[in-house]
Amino acid sequence: MSEVFIERGIALVGAILVGVTAIVQLKNDWAARGIDAGLTKVLLGLMALGCVLALLAAANVLGVRT
Amino acid sequence: MAAAVQHLSGHEAIAARYHDVDPVYGETRDLRLLGFVFFLLSDCILFSSFIFAYVYLRISAPAWPPFLNGHQLPWFDTSFAAMNSIVLFGSGVTMHFALENWKHLNKAKFNGWLIATIVLGIGFLLGQAHEYSVVGISWTGTTMGASFFTLTGMHGFHVFVGVLYLTILGLQANRGVYTGSKYFGLTAGTLYWHFVDVIWVFLFFLFYIW
Repeated sequence: MSEVFIERGIALVGAILVGVTAIVQLKNDWAARGIDAGLTKVLLGLMALGCVLALLAAANVLGVRT
Repeated sequence: MAAAVQHLSGHEAIAARYHDVDPVYGETRDLRLLGFVFFLLSDCILFSSFIFAYVYLRISAPAWPPFLNGHQLPWFDTSFAAMNSIVLFGSGVTMHFALENWKHLNKAKFNGWLIATIVLGIGFLLGQAHEYSVVGISWTGTTMGASFFTLTGMHGFHVFVGVLYLTILGLQANRGVYTGSKYFGLTAGTLYWHFVDVIWVFLFFLFYIW
């Protein structure tokens, strides 16, 4: 098993786990009000987006170099 | 008390919520939070400046990766970066759990999640150090190397400061500096760590996906 395959596998599984957890936390905090809650929601949303990017990169959909 | 507070908004609600704990804390919490948000915004402007410089250099370059001594430089390792990114994003989730457990007065779980966050932060830094050792380009010579090391180095420094910051917060929390209703430092630490995570989302896209 190649090193790249292991790295991509860990990234793929990790991205799903972390991304889903971030979205669930975002949903749980959705009703919270205040500057800190609002900022946390924005940052959690962007972090979930980062997980999507990492997932697509690990799946060789994005970041493919020819 | 809680029902009455629900009818208030903004500063009044915060002051009412914390009045029984410490009137000064309730009155200044909003201002301190606003100050911290301005600090994050200033950091955002700092990163934005370097990011725009990188985008400008890249789109105006005749070829990317650029050539050095007749040879085209290699692309960065996307698979390793994806794995390392997940380590950092995972630390954002664990930090969120740490704060939530503190709010619910579960100190043991708070400590566990905070330690997990610090370990993941150190793991990310070690991953960056590994990448620097194998990346095959240097800071000097090309705009690619200069941009990469400047931006990721600046981010890495923020992660390093964040690890120290969270360690200090953990020590303070265990020495009774914060309570179940008075924990602004922990809120600020969590926001800082999320901010550092989000900056990496942009850097990951710019250097490893674009």
